[in-house]
Amino acid sequence: MSIRVKDLVFSHKNFSLEVSDFSFDSGKVTVIVGPNGAGKTTFLKCLGAVLSIPKNAVMIDGQDLAVLKARERARLISYVPQEQDSAFNYSVGDFVLMGRAGYLSPFALPSKQDFAAANEALDYVGLRRFAERSIGELSSGERRLVLIARALAQNSDILLMDEPTTFLDPKHETEVLNLVRKLAGERKKTILVALHSLEMAVVYSDVLVFMKQGKIVASGPPAEIFEARLLENVYEMKIRVIDWDGRKVVIR
Amino acid sequence: MSGQANSRQKILTIVILSLPFILFLFSLAIGTYDISPGKVIRTIASVWHPHSRQDLIAPYRDILFRIRIPRLLLAMAIGAALSVSGASLQALFKNPLVNEYILGISSGAAFGAALSLVFLGRAFPPQIAAFFFALLAVGAVLLISGRTESHFISLLLTGIIVTAFFSALLSLVEFFASPYVLQSLFFWLMGSLSLASWKDLSISLPLIGVGLSVLLLLRWRLNVLSLSDEEARSLGIHLRREKLLVIGAATLVTAAGTSVVGIIGWIGFIIPHLVRLMFGVDNRRVIPMSAVMGASVMLVADDLIRGLSSFEIPIGIFTSLVGIPLFLLLLKKTKKVWL
Repeated sequence: MSIRVKDLVFSHKNFSLEVSDFSFDSGKVTVIVGPNGAGKTTFLKCLGAVLSIPKNAVMIDGQDLAVLKARERARLISYVPQEQDSAFNYSVGDFVLMGRAGYLSPFALPSKQDFAAANEALDYVGLRRFAERSIGELSSGERRLVLIARALAQNSDILLMDEPTTFLDPKHETEVLNLVRKLAGERKKTILVALHSLEMAVVYSDVLVFMKQGKIVASGPPAEIFEARLLENVYEMKIRVIDWDGRKVVIR
Repeated sequence: MSGQANSRQKILTIVILSLPFILFLFSLAIGTYDISPGKVIRTIASVWHPHSRQDLIAPYRDILFRIRIPRLLLAMAIGAALSVSGASLQALFKNPLVNEYILGISSGAAFGAALSLVFLGRAFPPQIAAFFFALLAVGAVLLISGRTESHFISLLLTGIIVTAFFSALLSLVEFFASPYVLQSLFFWLMGSLSLASWKDLSISLPLIGVGLSVLLLLRWRLNVLSLSDEEARSLGIHLRREKLLVIGAATLVTAAGTSVVGIIGWIGFIIPHLVRLMFGVDNRRVIPMSAVMGASVMLVADDLIRGLSSFEIPIGIFTSLVGIPLFLLLLKKTKKVWL
């Protein structure tokens, strides 16, 4: 599934996001990095039509995202928010099942197929044994996986993830990002991830996108574009990049 | 969930589901005029056997069919309506503290019904004006507080303001009412089942039935609607349409009930909370179980009122006096379920 962005403008208060022309490669992991307030989250929300966007700004395989019905959109794109804080403490199984809403009429109850899809998604992230537990009992790392499982139950080709590793320890951070790679590899999903960790972004992305002040300032394969000058420009601070056995290490 | 817990859950479900039927038959025997359970059954059976000793049964028949049965049916319908509407609104507003009273629905409905009674007379169904003004009230609360996802405090404050406004309008209507109408209006406003008649039922029951069916059908959807607006939208929900549907149905059942029995508070608050404690937060269970529990609790409340004293306390006062302390107790004890 290809995503093409053209003349996308989204303004809120004194922030404005402007992307004149950009395409995301299908079946790849694109990582979006940039300082706080660069517009990463806003950009992802626009692409997921969680925020309302102008017509003809985002095309998915030639279809205008802005005119798609809510249900059709949910089957194409799933959005994984940063954190989940529901007022009600649902069980993990019930929560993941909600990923099926796009396949059901408002008056319908989930069918056997929907339960199977939810269970399969839980299996994939390795949390099937937690199905009966309530979300409140899980660690924040496990909750991230549950959010990803819900997006998987949605069975869409495009996955948008907003900082899925914030507040996670290195082990869980790696676990989540390995899962992201696995999804792109095994399931051929087109994945867009907003990340803060530059080291992780370099290792796990096929394509890196740098954002600053609501605009895309650079993009390309990390091996080609990841260098100190660009980083210093984007983050406005002194940064050194060291090549360590073929891995890029950021010193600041 | 372990097998044992599962079977305990099943037994609890069966007990709760059968409660309204048992309580209904039991409640028929309660009242100022003593009719034993045996006579209740014989009197009801006589409907299908017209030749059995009519002379003995006729007075019982009048009491049961003209007074008690409509009253109990109304009590059950109101209990189910308020509980389900409370549970649905709580899911929709993503907050277990929300209810039809906070949102101004009750005061809007009460004003509409009073307006209709005073200026259009008893012959005109008060449900129409009640529904209209209840929608107006909740619409005003939503518009002023700014959408459904706004901060709870701002929703609460707006609700208080709109409720105060409709209370003032209601006082104005009372000011213009004749002393005779005023007396019945006053009694009705405190929430009373004693005025129940088949005529009220014939309009309110179908309305409540329609609203409850819609909310029952939407029960799984309410789970998804209880997530943040952004999440619900990304999961494929047409937010505006489905929110309007839930608010419309919840307002309809509340207005249909309020226009007949006045404002009965706290039921829509307490019952869904109790149900969540017993059955968890999944609305696939919360909605139907709230209906059944609400109907049962209203029957018990009405039995207590009719059985304990010769004079009847209005049920609205009763539910508030019992409900508020219970609510505070639950609030202190189980903060966890709410967050």
